[in-house]
Amino acid sequence: MIEITSGKQPLRLANPVIGASGIFGYAGEYAKLIDLSKLGAIVTNAVTLRPRRAATGTRVVPLDSGVLVHTGLPNLGIHQIHRLYATKWKNGPLPFIVHVAATTPEEVGKCVQILDTTEGIVAIEIGLSDQSTHRDAKLMIGAARQNTQLPLLAKLPMFNVTNVSVAAEEAGADALVVAAPPRGTARDPLSGQLVGGRLYGPWLKALGLRAVGAIARHVKIPVIGCGGIHNPDDARDYLEAGAVAVMVDSVAWIRPDMVEIIARNLGGLELTRAIGAMEDEWRPGIGETAVMRAQLLASPPPVVPPPHLPE
Amino acid sequence: MHQAQAIIERVRRVSGAIQQIDIAVDKSQQNIGAGQLFLARTTETLDPYLREPWTPVHREGSSLTIERSSAQSFSPGQVVNLLGPVGKVIPLRESARTLLLIAYESTPVSLLMLAETALAKGIAVALALLGTAIHYPLEALPQEMEVQRGYDYDQWPNQVEMVKWADQIVAVAPPPLDLPYYGRLLDSVKNTRREVAPGYLYGLVQPPMPCGIGACQACLVRCGKDEIPACLDGPAFDVLALTAHLAEGK
Repeated sequence: MIEITSGKQPLRLANPVIGASGIFGYAGEYAKLIDLSKLGAIVTNAVTLRPRRAATGTRVVPLDSGVLVHTGLPNLGIHQIHRLYATKWKNGPLPFIVHVAATTPEEVGKCVQILDTTEGIVAIEIGLSDQSTHRDAKLMIGAARQNTQLPLLAKLPMFNVTNVSVAAEEAGADALVVAAPPRGTARDPLSGQLVGGRLYGPWLKALGLRAVGAIARHVKIPVIGCGGIHNPDDARDYLEAGAVAVMVDSVAWIRPDMVEIIARNLGGLELTRAIGAMEDEWRPGIGETAVMRAQLLASPPPVVPPPHLPE
Repeated sequence: MHQAQAIIERVRRVSGAIQQIDIAVDKSQQNIGAGQLFLARTTETLDPYLREPWTPVHREGSSLTIERSSAQSFSPGQVVNLLGPVGKVIPLRESARTLLLIAYESTPVSLLMLAETALAKGIAVALALLGTAIHYPLEALPQEMEVQRGYDYDQWPNQVEMVKWADQIVAVAPPPLDLPYYGRLLDSVKNTRREVAPGYLYGLVQPPMPCGIGACQACLVRCGKDEIPACLDGPAFDVLALTAHLAEGK
């Protein structure tokens, strides 16, 4: 087990690879595609005190080597989500971290209070908005801290990390997640309109690594790296930059199996690839062509000798 | 829902604009139904980033036929990575003997497997190609299907007769035109038929689907009071449900 945070209730995970919020749903939807038990934990999609509807208009704009996504953080509200998923969190294949979107300190406090004693929840992540000031961050994290003993992760906005990180630490965060996907604007090719949303893509890694390196030197609490991780080497770069763990996000859309490969690599669970093996013979859940090939090899056509060998 | 590799077996040009590729798919993905799709990656690079939606137009054993723009390059033996099947099969009424398909400003690709299924069941199928859909090559369509073409969304030959004739209607329009069009289509159908029963008029809603498994919530579709992921419960939605909240607001 890896100790991500220390304190009264330390956060200990079997693997330093965590599924980031906004990607993996609420209760292991990706179990259909990958072995989630290989990951350290999953951060759920955002919850708020009251239900929120999905954003209207365009929500996804493809970019060169990336994508802009604007969901509007739709969710059924903490009460309904707790009713629907508490049992799944308790019996899930891995620990869950619930992402609470920072709206007001009162709402954050109430959400955290509800989650505090929920089995299967090993930590709470507070998502600070891009406009968060030092004071906002202190109020939000402080409100959460007052209502739970669970480890608190503060997810920082990419372009405001230095200022907010100190505030989050002072207010009682146990670890910092550096960073949330930054916001951008792009033209939707279908509607022709400019659309704002969060950016995902491999090029975020350079920004994330820079931020992790800077923050890890500034604060005393652990830093979890997040942004642009698309293979095990990307994840290891974050660890080298000073992160104690990493969160993987949009790679799950591109190559779901890669999430498991990254987790296996960092968790010392990597399968050994035999020389000459086809890709689907060693990567998990990629298909059955290896099985089909083995069946073909197992039943070669019988060799029938000619009745009379020539003299 | 599986992630698996498929192999392109054959590529043939249907017209100047489209090509059809036959792919051999994994056993776990062979049971794909009408309207369901795959999210495909054809390259190891990250550009394009998101998977492309691939809707089969024909199924034969382990082989599926996919239609793509001829601007894309494919070759036999090429391996593609498929995620799917995504979504649900388009529901076909048990009592339906006649089926009207409408493609507005969109290729009818998402409807062709439904047409094939319906024709195999002895259901008479007609297709209306509207707007830019009129340019779709007729040689790519089943010969048993009647095809009508019209430039306007609400004007095509024998429109009233065809709507009266149909036991079920399934329409496709691309986002962001889809929901406004389905609303207008519902009004138009209501003018022709006195009553539109649930399950009579379906519209396909196919927004970009980053994950395909209902986790990212980018493809939520409002149906009355609920928001439903198109990648799980779509692409076919009852137009009455799609427009219910608009009707409440009137």
